[in-house]
This record gives sequence, structure tokens and C-alpha cells, in this order.
Amino acid sequence: MDIFGSFALLLAFVAALYAFVGGIAGISLKRPLLTKSARNSGLAVCVLVGLAVAALEYFLQTDDFSIAYVAVHSNRALPWYYKFAALWSGQEGSLLWWTFLLSIYVFFALFLNRKKHPELMPYFGVIVAGVQIFFLTLNNFVANPFHVLGAPDTNGVFHMARVADGNGLNPLLQYAEMVIHPPMLYSGYTGFTIPFAFALAALLGRYPGEKWIHITRRWTMIAWTFQTVGILLGAHWAYAVLGWGGYWGWDPVENASLLPWITATAFLHSVMMQEKRGMMKVWNVWLVFSTFMLCILGTMLTRSGLVNSVHAFAESSIGVWFYGFLAIILAVCTVAWFLNRDYLRSDNQLDSLISRESSFLFNNLILLAACFAVLWGTLFPVFSEWFTGSKISVGPPFFNKVNVPIALFLLLLTGVGPLLAWRKTSLDGLRRNFLWPFVTGVAAGIAAFVFGFRQIYPLICLILSVFVALTIFSEYYRAARVIAARDGTDIFTAVRELAMRNTRRYGGYVVHFGMVLIFIGISGSAFNQDVEKQLRTGENLSIGPYTLVAQNFDAPNTSNYDSDRATIEVFRNGKSEMLLYPEHRVYLASQVPETIVAIESSPLRDLYVVYSGLSPDTNLPVIHAYINPLVKWIWFGGVIVVLGTGLAMLPNRRAAIVLRATEVSRREPSFDTGGRARAIQPVARSSDGND
Amino acid sequence: MTSTTNLALTRREFAPAALRGAATALAVVAFAATSRAQQSDRVKALGQKLFCACGCNQVLIYCNHVGCTVSTKMLQELNDRIARGDSDDLILQSFVQEYGETVLTQPPAKGFNVFMWIIPVVVPIVAIVFGWGMVHRWREHAALTPASAAAPVSPELLARAHRESGESDE
Repeated sequence: MDIFGSFALLLAFVAALYAFVGGIAGISLKRPLLTKSARNSGLAVCVLVGLAVAALEYFLQTDDFSIAYVAVHSNRALPWYYKFAALWSGQEGSLLWWTFLLSIYVFFALFLNRKKHPELMPYFGVIVAGVQIFFLTLNNFVANPFHVLGAPDTNGVFHMARVADGNGLNPLLQYAEMVIHPPMLYSGYTGFTIPFAFALAALLGRYPGEKWIHITRRWTMIAWTFQTVGILLGAHWAYAVLGWGGYWGWDPVENASLLPWITATAFLHSVMMQEKRGMMKVWNVWLVFSTFMLCILGTMLTRSGLVNSVHAFAESSIGVWFYGFLAIILAVCTVAWFLNRDYLRSDNQLDSLISRESSFLFNNLILLAACFAVLWGTLFPVFSEWFTGSKISVGPPFFNKVNVPIALFLLLLTGVGPLLAWRKTSLDGLRRNFLWPFVTGVAAGIAAFVFGFRQIYPLICLILSVFVALTIFSEYYRAARVIAARDGTDIFTAVRELAMRNTRRYGGYVVHFGMVLIFIGISGSAFNQDVEKQLRTGENLSIGPYTLVAQNFDAPNTSNYDSDRATIEVFRNGKSEMLLYPEHRVYLASQVPETIVAIESSPLRDLYVVYSGLSPDTNLPVIHAYINPLVKWIWFGGVIVVLGTGLAMLPNRRAAIVLRATEVSRREPSFDTGGRARAIQPVARSSDGND
Repeated sequence: MTSTTNLALTRREFAPAALRGAATALAVVAFAATSRAQQSDRVKALGQKLFCACGCNQVLIYCNHVGCTVSTKMLQELNDRIARGDSDDLILQSFVQEYGETVLTQPPAKGFNVFMWIIPVVVPIVAIVFGWGMVHRWREHAALTPASAAAPVSPELLARAHRESGESDE
């Protein structure tokens, strides 16, 4: 079976190689049959990599410890779903999983466009095959997941070995969200290959017009959504599993996932400039290129050990391959851009500073500044070591100081940008759209200040959040009211009608509203409290409005781990509210400890209780309690963002003439009803308006 | 009798003396509590400026690895130095000497490290100036360009566009 998996991977490599070489030959020789066979070879890669994944999963589920990967990353006591997740818990498996997700994207992109864009798709096929060749090279020759345990004897004869049980899965990954977090994040990373390939293909093939933008928009949104969900799940995992009371620690690997998300966000905004006005073509192409390169950089950071990270479980010397691949991509992109730069000339110029174009431009510049700040802080220790020879660390204080002002400025643009008109916005328009939201936001800020809300950044965040939320609601309300009046429907039906008529625009507003909720949630961290205390049974600690009483300490061990658990009764105003069960576990196979946090979550605050273990001095249990305000808003905001993106991906209602019967007895004579006539009123429903 | 008088006087004096004593005790307790609270605040503030040296890459006060002897030792050291009355700078310096510069969550802004702070400030400013410049250039160009001066589409491009135009977008 290990030979089956290895052979499938090798065949996939050969198929990708043929898709690449055959594709180039098909383009150069203008041979459609050759191009078609190269495309079919690209489709076959997905099936072959899928077989390899199935083979490795079979080994994991059947506890075949003759396979080195299974022996290192799984054990018999592991539940089946964690055995499934063990597929991506190590270097070799995660790279195979990466290749598999990429091949699924490529399969669908090739298959869905098999009869479309005949002049673009051959280039696309060659580019994605090139990317697949790189990853399949790693899978086959650098980090093969099908290595068997064993060693050659003195005569050079290889003897297979098998261990009785494996080392088990990294305990930090034995958590429900970790079963879906890596696939989500990887789906984001790999998904950005598709817009990259279409952009490069359009550039190389000098594909006319903005069609590549239309083709890639949904692919980019799908990848962006996966990346968003992946980042949020990672944050939630850090919050619920790492047990330090926070959800974002500016760890290099967290930063690595944020970087392509930021550039992809910039692209999703600036792409509208190209669609609507034919502007920012060079910018958009480079945003897509940068997003893909940042995905590769992020993968390299995760695996190379270039920077210190809490996510160091997949560290190895594989980084040099990624350096090489990054250099090749950069060279190809630069040459392609340089040779075809005339193709990217703007069709239009900017008419006014107060216009949607300029707001998109500034939104993009600020997003890129944020991206640069994160990248700079992440890589600065490396630069510092190169230049000075001494190692330093860059931690949360730097990232918070630099990024919080930038993020607040972006929040402001989130409210302002979408309500500015294309080309030019009049002063009247500004007043109509922004006066009341602005006044209300400032009033909310003053009220908060009066009630003792004195920290500057949370205060600004509150003002901007109110402002942005109101601009979104007022925009929805104004447009929905017109529809409701015209159609004679209620306002909720009109809101739905409005959203479905221009899904992209109103889906975008929903996403912005979700971001507002996330910002509010993050600003709550300024008011975090925490108390740590050693507790005997019956003793208590107080935090905020809560009193925590230690009721019991026990040890609910399983075959997978030993556990120490506290039973904490939570009182509020003298009244018992709930029982919480924080615990810490030591996983038997790996002897690695893990914290299981008990969280009582409400919209206002989370009560977050950690059993920190026994005090080395007194041998008493140490309980660390936190109150983290508004954290739930972050997760809820994330859900809203995903729903908004889903809405934005739906097609607009098609252009149609809706024949609506209206009773207009005074205008038209009656034919059949004696005084009451029915007139046909056409109502145009446009599919356009992707703004 | 004398002893009774003395006792009476002692009793008369007892109340204010007890009050004075209670007040002093309260002040001592309050001072100790305030001092402990301040100490705790300082531990939190300084603990956020230090990484745990166990290699977990977590900020010292957030390092909660069960049985992490390094963070326990470092926090104890921090508490001791605060109790001894050392200044913040002195405490941080002593940690740097013991664990190296990587123990700081943000390196001091001196030497090459100055760039770490300057560049992220300069880049957004340059970006905004650049954006402003672009907007002005576009506007000037737009004012000079006649409305009808759109770039002509070559017949070749037009033919390709026609070939493609029958197809849907996605």
C-alpha cells in the first residue's frame, strides 16, 4: 500500500510535468490537441494526488506503524477524527494535503472553464502545472510521507521495521477546531494560486479587456473566505487551547496567515477600479502576484524555522526550496510585467479627490502599509541578525503600537469609501451620507468619555464603529425605503430585494458591518482583567462581578491522557450561576501537557478560567481567572463577514422586465371590468451595478 | 487607690491610643496592600516587556506551559527585583544580561534597531504622499485629456474580444 501511495504521487508528478511541457508546446506550436491533452493531464493530477491522500489516511486509520509518518504523528489511542487530522499535523502530510487542495482548485478551474476562454486557459494550465510541479517535487523527493521504518543491514539489504505504537498527535492539535482550522487556512493559501495564475496568464497572453478580473473575482473571494475563516478559527483555537487569555499573539506564523489576507483584501477593493474605470491595472496585477508570493512566504515561515514561532511543529530545512521557488516566481512575474507593461495602461484618469476611486486608492495604500508593517516586524529579527550579528525578538508591543492606528484609519475608510460616488462626490452628497452618522458617533464618544471610558484607542474605535455602522444602515435603509414605497412591500422584503439585486455591493456592506463588530470585540481587550490564586477546596477568588469557589479537584484520566481537573462554582451577586471545569492534561504518548480552558461566554464578557497546575512551592492548585470583555463580538463578527461574502458571491438578479400589474383606473379605459383598468408597468431589474 | 487611678487613666487613654494604633495598623496594611498592588501592576507591565526564555515565544506573563520552570523562575526573579526596589530599566537590563537581547519583546530603539521603529512610520506617510501625488497627477491628466481621446482598440484586440464576448464570465 505504501508503494501504491508513492506511485500515485510519482504519477501525479509526471502528469503535472506533462501538463507543463505539453501546455507550453501546445501554445508555441498552436496545436489545440496538444493543449487539450495537457489540460487533461492537469485534471488527472487531482485524481492521483487524491489516491495518495487516501493511501496515507488508510495507514493512519489502520495504525500501520511501519510508515514513519504514522508512527511519528499518530497512535492507537487516538480517536478516528484526530487520526484523520494527523494527515496534516506533520511536515510531509501537510505538504501532501496542500498539494491535494491545490489540485482540487486546479481541477475545478480547468474543468469549469474547459469550453471557455480558449486563448487564456492554455497559459493558465501551464502556470498552475508549474506550481504543482514544485509541490509534487517536495512530496516525492524532499518530504515523502510514505517512507517506511527500517534500515539496511551490513549487506545493504533493507529490513522493514514496525513499532508497537506511535508517538501520537501533537496535543495542541487535539481539539475540534484543529480538525478544520488547517484545511480552511490551506484552502485559503492554495486558493490564491488560481487568481495568480489567471492574472499571469492574462499578462503573458495579453488577454484583452478586464475579463480575467471577472473570471478571478469569485475564485479570489472563495480563497479570501477560507483564509478569513482559517484565521478566525486559529484565533479561537489560540484563545481556547493555549490558555493565555488572548487570541492573537503576533506570532510569526499568525502574521504569515494575515499577510496574504491583507493584500487579497486590497485586491478585492481595487479590482473595482479596474472593472468600473479601467484604472489601477498594474496595481491589481501586482496585488495578485504579491498575495500568492506572500502565501509561499507564509508557508516558508511555518516550515523553515527562519523565525521563532510557537507553531514550530513543522520546522525543517525545507525552507531553501521555498526560497528558490519564491525567487523563480518573482523573476517570472517581473519579466512578464516588464515585457507586457504597455498592456496594463490605464483607460481613465481620476476626476476628483473626493471620489470612490481615491478612497479605494487610499484604502489600498493603507492596507499595504499595514501589510508592510506586519511583514517588517516579522522579518526584522532576521535583518537585525544579518546586519548586526545579534539576535533580537519583536513581540506584541511593536505590532500593537504600529498597527492599531493604521487599523483605525482603515475602519474610517470602511465607512467613508463605499458611500462616495464614482468620479466625484458633491458636498451635498457628503452631508447627506455622513452628517448624522458622524454626529451620532461623536455623541457616543462623548457619552462614553463622560461615563469614564478614557482610553484613547478604544474611544476612537467606538466613535468610528458607530459612524461606520450607521453609514451602512442608513445606506441600506434609504435604498430599501425607495423599493418598499415603489413595490408596496414592507421594509424587510425591500432589504432582501435590494441585497439580491446587487449582491456584491450589499454583501460588501454586510462584510463591513462584520468587520465593525470584530473591531469592537478587539477594542474590548483594553479592559481585560485577570487574577491568579492558589486555591484549596472550598476557597475562593473574586474577579469583576464573579466569585469563583473551588469545589473539587479530581483526575478524569483516559487511555489518551492523564488529567487534573478543577470543579469551580461561579457565584454572581451571591447567587450560584454555573460550574466550570478547567483542566490540564498530560498526553501519555508524547508526555506533552495541555491546558483545557473553561470559558463562560456572553455578549458582554467572557469569564475565562485556567487550571495552571500545581504550585511548585506549595503544591496547591493554581487557578488563573480572566475577564475578557466583548470577545464574543469577534466570533460573531466573523460569522457576519462570512455570510456577507457568501451574499457577495451570489449572482445578481438577471436583467429582466418585470411586468407588474398596477391598478391605475384613472389613466386607462376599462376593457372588461367597468371602470378599473390594469396597466402594465415595466420595472427594469439590472444585473449590472457591481459596485 | 493610686493603682486604681492609674488604671482609670489608662482606661481613659486606651480609646484614643487604640484608635491611633488601629489607624497606624490600617495605614500599614493599606500601604502594604497598595504596595503589593503596585508591585503586581509592575510585574504585569514589565512581564509584558519580556518573553519567556523557554523557547515558547510567548510573553512572560502569558506563558502558561504546565510545569514551565523557566517562566516560574523568571517571574520569581522579577518579583524579587521589584520588591528590592530596582528601577524598570535596571530590571530589564539585568534580564538582558542573563538571557540575551531576545528576551525583550521590543528591542530598544538604538543602533540598527531604530529602523524597526522608523520604517513603519515612514512607509504609511510615504504611501499617503504617493497616493496624494497620484491623485493630483491623474486629475491634471484628466483635465488635459479630451473626452474623446480614448485609446483606439486595434482590430486584432477587437476580434479577440468579439470571439470571447459570447461566453459567460464564470
